[in-house]
Amino acid sequence: MTIFLQATVEGLSLAAIYSLVAIGFVLIYKSMDVLSFAQPALAVVGAGLISSLAVDRGIPFWIALIVGVSLTGFLGLVIERTFLRPMVGEPVFSVAILTIGIDILLRTTLDNWIGLNPRYLGDPFPKFGNFGSTTIGEVTIKYLEVAALSAAIIFIIALNIFFKKSKYGIAMRATAFDQEAALAQGINVGRIFGLVWFIAGLLAAFAGFFITGGFNTLSQTSFVVALRSLPAVVIGGLDSIPGAVIGSIIIGLTQGYVAYYQYDFETFFGIKLGNGFSLLAPYIIMFIILIVKPDGFFGTKEVERV
Amino acid sequence: MRKRPNLYTNYRKESAIFPNQTQKFWFLTLLLLSISLCFIASDYWILLISRSLTFAIGAWGINIVSGLAGQITLAHGSFIGIGVYTAAVLGGVSTSSVLGYQLDMLIWLPAAGIVAAAVSLILAPIAVRLKGLNLGLVTLAFLFICSHIFSNFISVSGGAGIGRKAAKLVIFGKNLEEGFEIGGYLLEKNQLLYFISLFFCILMGLGFKNLVRSRAGRAYAGIRDGDIAAEALGVNLFRYKASAFALASFYAGVGGALASVISGGIEPGSFNLLFSILAVAIIIIGGVGTVLGPLFGAFFYIMVPGLIQYILKITSLTESALPLNLGQIEAMVFGLFIILFLIFEPRGLWGIWFRLRNYFKAWPFSY
Repeated sequence: MTIFLQATVEGLSLAAIYSLVAIGFVLIYKSMDVLSFAQPALAVVGAGLISSLAVDRGIPFWIALIVGVSLTGFLGLVIERTFLRPMVGEPVFSVAILTIGIDILLRTTLDNWIGLNPRYLGDPFPKFGNFGSTTIGEVTIKYLEVAALSAAIIFIIALNIFFKKSKYGIAMRATAFDQEAALAQGINVGRIFGLVWFIAGLLAAFAGFFITGGFNTLSQTSFVVALRSLPAVVIGGLDSIPGAVIGSIIIGLTQGYVAYYQYDFETFFGIKLGNGFSLLAPYIIMFIILIVKPDGFFGTKEVERV
Repeated sequence: MRKRPNLYTNYRKESAIFPNQTQKFWFLTLLLLSISLCFIASDYWILLISRSLTFAIGAWGINIVSGLAGQITLAHGSFIGIGVYTAAVLGGVSTSSVLGYQLDMLIWLPAAGIVAAAVSLILAPIAVRLKGLNLGLVTLAFLFICSHIFSNFISVSGGAGIGRKAAKLVIFGKNLEEGFEIGGYLLEKNQLLYFISLFFCILMGLGFKNLVRSRAGRAYAGIRDGDIAAEALGVNLFRYKASAFALASFYAGVGGALASVISGGIEPGSFNLLFSILAVAIIIIGGVGTVLGPLFGAFFYIMVPGLIQYILKITSLTESALPLNLGQIEAMVFGLFIILFLIFEPRGLWGIWFRLRNYFKAWPFSY
């Protein structure tokens, strides 16, 4: 039972991280019809910015966090303005490949800065000592995991209110529904695109912090974790925010359980699944779901005119 | 007719592989040039060119499935990997950790293509059900599954971070690892590899050109431009989507097997996401759906690092004086070119060449 609870806690914290990136994916896809492969790169760039401010420059952690996260948001805005604006109306796949190009540029720059040794991200509560952990019953819970979970919940609630109540939130929904109609109603669609990338950048940077914070450290392969939110988005349906959250929970929990139960499973069935199978499990689930339900659980079914 | 090279009196003549004398002339000139190049150029350039030629074979493969048939795939690198490992197991030397049967190249080269094509048929039923981004995402999942298998199937791949040696160069039972003597002149292994790559590159390139004008090629174009409409016109979607994937993987397997012999060793980690993206990038930079595009793209990809090194040498800059290392510069240049080509020249290098050619063809008139 302890193992089960431990796996659940770790799975849920992973789900929180994935959902932050996944919501960014969905926001961009919904409003612009662009599947942005640059999201994982934005996450690690955010982490890199926080690290360089908090550790290299010695700025107090909380200021570094806020500055780093908003800089990543602005980076998203700049990317949209420079690279994606000329591509409006181009085929979906061309734009997806373009975002892969952006991803390569961002990550190469970052890898060069990271170098060979992993980077630390600084310490928000020095008296707890590097984001320590607590034990409830026999389950070890890291503060970082708690922070990731609560941050994800706060963000989901805040975004919900933003979309329901605020002027820009409603404009964003209108744009996602029909770009031309929104334009005709006087909504500045270009500005909405920028705002979407800004929010997606913010979310990615927060996810980046939770991926690389504490003992996890930022290395050249950190982005792989953020990329695993792509299966989450696909499972939920590319254009559904609740879908993205539920997909993240499915992916996160699967990864947690597989990591803890793989050995038992292997000895029970007498097969070997190989090292790091828990990291592959999300993609296998995505593979199966796409075959059974191509639009995911909550995605809008694509209707095509011939 | 001799004075009007662009006048075609029937469809067969227009769709010939070399529709006019100019193309025939340039093909033969380039062929002679590339054969003589082997005896002039240094080993460094010969190896680079052979690598480009094998990469071009792989790039033609992805051009069949993505360029002609319009099916998005991010798993091309995995099929290259499958071809590479088939060749390595059949043609390689067995050691304490890895399998190897030391067979003839006449067996392992076709086998590499056929096994890759057979595995790709797994994706065929899925490709019929899905389209667009969803298909791309399925192939992405397939890619991760494949690279996991490559890393963990130690008796075939040697394991992550260790790798294994590639297939041996044995043709007609003759071991060519030490070169081949022909009339008192010793052809070295590099030169032999160059000729083999050149031969298969031309063969596969002509095969691609032939495919474009065939019934299958027209069916692919129909599926690309509108699969529902194509189906309504009587194109069997399952058969053509499956055959596009199978053919593409065949090209991938053959190209990969040859490239692995040139590089000598294989590490399973190299068949990662970036490698598949590279395949897509090569055809985007070269020109999607064109015959010459993949060749341009492959040469661009292999030659740019070579040129960067060359520039470093003549400007006597050392690598440490630069802010980025060589691999990073390469990645940056490549990422930047993907973006720039997609925004400014979606037809790629082929588009540039096409406009240049037409400019000189019509010179001094601008139309």
